Formats: sequence, structure tokens, C-alpha cells
Amino acid sequence: MEDQACPRCKTTKYRNPSLKLMVNVCGHTLCESCVDLLFLKGSGSCPECLVPLRRNNFRVQLFEDPMVEKEVDIRKRVLRDYNKKEEDFATLEEFNDYLEEIETIIYNLCNNIDIIGTNKRIEAYRRDNREIIQRNKTRMGREEYELEEMLELERAQEEARRQELAELEAEQKKKKAREKEALIDELMCSGKDASEIVNEFAEKVEKLREEEKKLPPPKPADQFSTGIKFGRSADNMFLPLPKTEEGPLYVHKIPTLYMEGPAAPPSSDIETKGFITHIRPENSAERAGGYKAHLACQRALQEALMGLYHGAPAVN
Amino acid sequence: MFPQSSQKKFWTFSNEQQLNSLRLQQNVTYINTHGSDMNQEQRDDFFLSSIEERILLKQYELYLNDFCRRFEPPMPKCVVGTAFHYFKRFYLNNTPMDYHPKEILATCVYLACKVEEFNVSIGQFVSNIKGDRNKAMDIILSNELLMMQQLNYYLTVHNPYRPIEGFLIDIKTRSGMSNPERLRPHIDEFIEKTFFTDACLLYAPSQIALAAVLHAASKEQENLDSYVTENLFLAARDKLPVLIEAVRSKLKFGNHK
Repeated sequence: MEDQACPRCKTTKYRNPSLKLMVNVCGHTLCESCVDLLFLKGSGSCPECLVPLRRNNFRVQLFEDPMVEKEVDIRKRVLRDYNKKEEDFATLEEFNDYLEEIETIIYNLCNNIDIIGTNKRIEAYRRDNREIIQRNKTRMGREEYELEEMLELERAQEEARRQELAELEAEQKKKKAREKEALIDELMCSGKDASEIVNEFAEKVEKLREEEKKLPPPKPADQFSTGIKFGRSADNMFLPLPKTEEGPLYVHKIPTLYMEGPAAPPSSDIETKGFITHIRPENSAERAGGYKAHLACQRALQEALMGLYHGAPAVN
Repeated sequence: MFPQSSQKKFWTFSNEQQLNSLRLQQNVTYINTHGSDMNQEQRDDFFLSSIEERILLKQYELYLNDFCRRFEPPMPKCVVGTAFHYFKRFYLNNTPMDYHPKEILATCVYLACKVEEFNVSIGQFVSNIKGDRNKAMDIILSNELLMMQQLNYYLTVHNPYRPIEGFLIDIKTRSGMSNPERLRPHIDEFIEKTFFTDACLLYAPSQIALAAVLHAASKEQENLDSYVTENLFLAARDKLPVLIEAVRSKLKFGNHK
């Protein structure tokens, strides 16, 4: 949060974290007190780059990096003029070209590349598209207005709720006070027994408390707190998923071993016919790992027999 | 498995002529690229002919066998087999004039150790080599990738050892021979001899194994023909005995060289 110290007074930023950095159009930062100092003396230029400045050009810095701040500023300015939307373009390509042009302009301005040429481009664009810009400006205004309305609505609702709560509380307090007074009055005036009166009042208080619990339930919400109404399905916001063509169902076929030789004795024969007696049995460590002598035997026999017909001409 | 392996598809050839033509071709290509400015006599003088290459390589195969036999820690047989395979395959497409067989020999064995999961560190490996260890290390490691590339990255080699075990089990169970274990030393000897021939590039390992078994049987004056015919009951497949004879004869041929 500290960023660096203000380039002029250096120490003051550390000492006073609430001191804000102001940034101007050239992107250089100055803390508030230095800005005051600068314009007190009436000089009016940035201490680092000597660009002439006006006092109202200083804005409170939002971003840590002054370059970002500068770019955001430039972007806002440019986009005020370049405010076409996707519907204004015939093809996607044109829209993309338009976007690219905007980015190039912003980049040039930000990095001080060919400022004169870029400004000329902006001017030319403005002249050519004056009506469209105007129309879009008003259109933008309308959308913003709607947003504003919604915000207002939310705020009003908040206010209303708060008021309700406050009133409720006030009511409660008044009730309590009245109860107490009534009790005291009774005790003073009536001739009943004191303890009896106290009990009566205690019961009354209990009853009241129970009633309170059954407060009317809060109005059932019909919209999310963000303002999106319930019930409006999200489906009409998204396109349906395209249906993919399903191919033929997979059927498992047992893989066949291509021997190119006489068939090896089947696995059942290995033990019954005594092949396995000629192989070293597996030790316990090997058996734990899943190896069996059966496997080695079968493999040896298969390898012995496969490929024996290799090189033989194919049968007609 | 062998019938579906890359060894069968790419590195098993139909006959010797194919092998010889491959070797001749790479020899000629090499000479033409490097000796383009020489006339025929000079070329004969300077370069090795295909036949000379064969002799040279055979000598190095003997060295390879020796090296593997004297290797510390003792090397399993499949590594030897794989190393021989690689050696032969490599020199089908390359000439010993370009790559020194000694280096290729070491690289083959090293790669074979890795592939057959006989884990030897490079340091341990070069301790078996005489001479400058570091230089050997560099050579082997730099040749490794080249070797793999020349093998077209088909590194799995099917050796005849497991088929031999399979045949022995089968013989013990199905044929009536007594004490088939006495076949083993003859089998081992036979297989060793096959490694000096081109048999592994021409035949399936199971066929070589069967040839080994039959050869050993005949040495022991046993007759396994009944066993063999019991195996091959499909009449159309009687090419197999022909193949076996071919392997045997090649072996004798190889012996004489």
C-alpha cells in the first residue's frame, strides 16, 4: 500500500499513510501536499518531465503503477470518441479491425510513439463519424441511466428497511417504558398486594415477548440482491449445446494374438500338461507383485512358436 | 511380439542379396561423394571395397563378442544379442570408412545395455575399455544419438534366447527325449556362431532357435523330427524345414570364413 515515497518530499508518505498520491496526465505522481506546494508557487509543471500542468488535472491515484494510471486515462479519453459497438459493423473482421485500431492508438499515446500522427488519426475519425459518435453517446447515456436507476432502487430499498427496523426498535422502547410506568402506577395507586401486581406484569411481559417472536415473516424475496429477478430462466441467455452425432456403439472384441506360427499350448494346458514343472517357480516376493511362473512359461512357449512361419509364402 | 514388431517389418530382409546390395550401395555412395575427383585406380587404392568392409566388420564382430564376454559386471546374453543386432543394422546403411567400428562397437554395447535394462553407468562402462576413459566416454555419448538415428529409432530387438527356453520346455514336456539339458551347451555355441552371420537379419528369432535346437540334437545323436512334425501339422507350412536348413547352411558357410 505504501508504494514509493512521493518523489518530492520523499519521507512524508511513509510517515503518513493516509496521504494520497495524486497523478497527472504525464503519469508522474505527487503527494497531496507537494501538489499544493507546487501550485502555491504558481509554477505549474511536473517536476520530472516539465510538462505544463493545471491543478485540476491531478486526480487521486487509483492504481499503484503510474503507467497503468496513465493508460487508463488515455483509454477513457479515446473511448469517449471511439464508442462504436459490435452491431455497428457488418462483419466480425471489421469489428476486430476497429478494436485493433483503438488499441494501437492507445498504445502509441501511452508510449509516446508518434503522438502527432495518432492525434491526427483521432481527429480524422471524429470528423468522419460525428453522427454515429453522437448517437452512441446518447445510447450510452441511456444504459448508464438505467444502471443508475437500478442502483437508486437498491439504495431506496435499503433505506426503507433501515427505517423499518429503526421504527420497530423505537416502538419496543416505548412499550417497555409504558409498561414500567404502568407498573409503578399500579403499585402506587391500587390497593392490591405488591407482589401480586409484580407477577401480573411479569406475565404480561412474557406474553408480549411471545407475540414478538411471531413477527411477520420478512417479505419473500423475489429477486436476488443483485437485482436479477427470480423466475427468469437462465436458459434464454445461453445457446443450447450443439448435439454431437453419436457413432456406432462400441462392442468389445477380444484381441487375437497373431502368431505367424503354430498355436501355442493354451493357458489351461500349461499346468495340466506339465509345462510348468520345467520352470522355476516364483518366489514369494514375485508372487506378491503379481508375477506367476505360469506367465513366464506361457511367454516362453509363445515366443518359441510365433514367427516360425516367417518368410513362408502366403497360402493361396 | 516378433510378428508384429518393427524388427520384422523393417529390419528383417528376405534374402542375402538384399543385404549385400544395401551394403554395396552405401559403399558406392560414400566413395562417390568423397572420391569424386579421383579416378578408378586411386579410388581402389584409397577406399575400401565392399568385400574388404565385410572382412573388417567380421573382425570387429569378434572383438565385440570378446568385449561382451569380458565385461564386468557379467553381461546377460540378451544384451550381447542386441548389441550384435545393432552393429549389423548400423553397418547396413553406413560404411566403416565413415564411422570407426571400434567406436560404434562401444556405442552399440552401451545402447544395448540401456535398452535391455542392464543398467551400467557410463563410468562403469568405460572402466571395461582400455585406453583413455574420458575420451571413450565422450565418443560413446556423442555417438549414441547418431546410432539411434541410424537404427531409425527401432530399438527393440527380439533375441532367440527366450524361444530357446520355450523349445526346451516344450521338448521336456511333449517330446520323449531324455535329459534335454545336455542340448544346452551346443545350443549356446550355435547361437554364438549365428551372431557372426547375417542370420538375425534374415530369419525370425524363433526359427534360429529351432535351428539351434535341432543342430544340438543332431550333435547329441538325438532325433527330434517327430517333435518337429508334431508341431507343424499344417502341410502348407513345410517351408519351415527349408528355412532351418538354410540357417544351418549359412552357419557352416559363416564358419568357414
